[in-house]
Amino acid sequence: MAKLLIVDDSTMLRDMLNYALNEGGYTDVTEAVDGVDGLEKAKSATFDLIITDVNMPNMDGLTLIGELRKIPTYASRPILVLTTERSDEMKAKGKAAGATGWIVKPFVPEQLLKAVNIVLSR
Amino acid sequence: MSGFDISKYREMFVEEAEELFESADNVLLEAENNGTLTDEEMGQLFRDVHTLKGSGASVELALFAEFTHDVENMMDKLRNHQIEFIPEMAGTLIDGLDVMKELLDLEVSEKLTREVFTEMTSELLVIIRAYINGENVVTAEVEEKHVESKDIGFYDEDLDNSGFNITYGFFNDDEIGKDNDSYGFFDDALNKKSESAVTPVFAHEDSDDFGFFDDMPEITAETEIKANTEDQEEKLLNTPMDKTAEVKEVAKTALSKAASPTPEVKKTMQSRVSKDEKETNKKSSASNNIRVNLDKIDLLMNNVGDLVITNAMLTQFSTSIEDTKTRNSVLERLELLERHIRDMQDSIMSIRMVPMESIYSKFPKVVRDISKKLGKKVEFKHYGDNVEIDKAMIEGLTDPLMHIIRNSLDHGLETPDVRVANDKSEIGSIIISAEQANGQMIITIEDDGKGIDCDKVALKALDQGQIDENQYNSMNDNEKAMLVFGAGVSTAEEVTSISGRGVGMDVVKTNIHKLGGALKLDTNIGEGTIITIMLPLTLAILDGLDIAVGDQKYILPLSAIVESLQPTSDMIKKIGDGSQDLLMLREEFIPVVRLHQLFGVEPTFVNLEDGMLIVVKSGNTKVAISIDEFLNQHQVVVKPLDKNFRSVQGIGAATVRGDGSIGLILDILGIINAQIKIEKNMSYTQRVS
Repeated sequence: MAKLLIVDDSTMLRDMLNYALNEGGYTDVTEAVDGVDGLEKAKSATFDLIITDVNMPNMDGLTLIGELRKIPTYASRPILVLTTERSDEMKAKGKAAGATGWIVKPFVPEQLLKAVNIVLSR
Repeated sequence: MSGFDISKYREMFVEEAEELFESADNVLLEAENNGTLTDEEMGQLFRDVHTLKGSGASVELALFAEFTHDVENMMDKLRNHQIEFIPEMAGTLIDGLDVMKELLDLEVSEKLTREVFTEMTSELLVIIRAYINGENVVTAEVEEKHVESKDIGFYDEDLDNSGFNITYGFFNDDEIGKDNDSYGFFDDALNKKSESAVTPVFAHEDSDDFGFFDDMPEITAETEIKANTEDQEEKLLNTPMDKTAEVKEVAKTALSKAASPTPEVKKTMQSRVSKDEKETNKKSSASNNIRVNLDKIDLLMNNVGDLVITNAMLTQFSTSIEDTKTRNSVLERLELLERHIRDMQDSIMSIRMVPMESIYSKFPKVVRDISKKLGKKVEFKHYGDNVEIDKAMIEGLTDPLMHIIRNSLDHGLETPDVRVANDKSEIGSIIISAEQANGQMIITIEDDGKGIDCDKVALKALDQGQIDENQYNSMNDNEKAMLVFGAGVSTAEEVTSISGRGVGMDVVKTNIHKLGGALKLDTNIGEGTIITIMLPLTLAILDGLDIAVGDQKYILPLSAIVESLQPTSDMIKKIGDGSQDLLMLREEFIPVVRLHQLFGVEPTFVNLEDGMLIVVKSGNTKVAISIDEFLNQHQVVVKPLDKNFRSVQGIGAATVRGDGSIGLILDILGIINAQIKIEKNMSYTQRVS
């Protein structure tokens, strides 16, 4: 069973993500409330996929991805960014930070799952 | 998949939004005062508003998100120094947050229509968008948007339902590429995979079915126009031309209004918040917290209460074990169990405690708004942000504190010219502080206003029959001032929208007493007023004393007891028709309440000296309670009485004793009130006869 980590400062969005992932059969989901928390949790266990928000207090999502990529375990594991922006600039930033892909929020559960399925089946 | 139960998530969002609003408001209030905004603060503001937008859109609050998008844009530009912060912007953004709050309320209760939305937002949007674009530059795109938000006729009901309004103009400036994917990968191989993974069914769903969450980002300008009928298309094409000039005018006047704030706005209020303290708090609370419904903690508390009771039962039962050795070792272990249970009780209690900051954070905004309205200048300070208070008390405490602060602002503090004329600093001060002392929570609210005219208050109370002439003559100034907490007493000559009906202060007293607390008021004419609120630290457990009244047992809260004594006959004076007694204790007359009488219990003695007297106090009022004897003292878990029993005067709550029986906890205030009623009736019958 794939182990997932979701990082978002909004309790509600974490709940929604969790719900959608659970519906799609991903029940092993860990939550983190910001980049710092996310990094800590990522270090304490090995996750198969990390989904992170961009704008968060303490440490933002892009910095988190940068930090994760420095850790050998996560050097090539999939990381998706959740973003409200779909601009090329945002995509460029995500790519530069080392993200595997992006999901636009608000998200449709089906599309979230589709993206997750694809990235995990690699 | 059926999707989400939006209403549940909306509830969560509303709760979350409240915190975000508060956080953003406080940053902006400070910015308004000192005229600067640090990069860090701008970052926080942006994050707060960004989360509000993203989460709002996720729970399908489209209009809320639409407006929030503009506010977010302005903050984004500020954060990136694309526009420079000027102090006037803080006011605009605070107004923006206010509008967001109203929109949220309306949209959650499904009362928000496009018309209302336009009416509420158009004026402010002109200013915000003008700021976003630098004061003079109004780009074509923005003009177009203005026209649309102004032109109500354009959005008829059909369109309202089509989802087109809701989506438009949203991500326009973000829409660099016309990318319709709601997810994507930076790796071509994956992207290909994603394409091949899209079955025809899915593809169909994607283009057709994104009505659920994805409306907003998915629809681009092109699809919008397609979605419109030709007639509307024509309008869309024509209107911008005619309206451009008008919009420019509106924008200009709005801007000049915004750019020259009235002088009193500028320094209306200063709030100094110990920022470092606050930030550390936030940091520590951000990463390791979980949200738990208070009901669950109450349940846990109840369970522990049951454990305490079971333990007491076991102990009682074990004392009857005949074999001494077995009995002792069982009792020993039971004692250990009791200690563990007590520790557990303490831990659960600490879960219920939250810092005072959670109450304080609501005030700066209120102070700002009211002082602005009244044209007064105020410096609002708060201390003891980290002092912890039982979460269950917060609700009951916020209203009274708010009332007191409103009153201080409205009636206490003078206008700047009056203050200057009285040799006071132009800026008034309101200080609220909290501390824990002697197992009590002490909250003081201090202002340096004109003080309360005690005689005026007392005369009014006399006029209304709340006190009689004897009382009036014997009262000192502070006692007279305390009368402002009586119902219907207000010294305000005029009733204002903020306060002055004399209702609020009555609520203060009632609420504080409900929490088992007491009030004190010190006032000096011309110098100010200090209101002190004393509260128990928790509502869930109290130290109680078992007392026997006839064949009944009651529990008296230990905190209310002043002293207890065995009276001698010379200490007792009969008054009135002889049915009432007074205790003369060190030159103080204290009315005696015979609990037998009050509760209709068969008395075991007639003369007070045959029983015990316990002097108890609530606020500044003392009574002596006549009882048979007092028994043991112990901690009790307070359980509320069922609604059916609420009206029993003198009984406040209940508990379950060690033997499983129910113990009634006395309500001192209720007893005092009952006594006052009896005395009143007496003086009435005296007067009549």
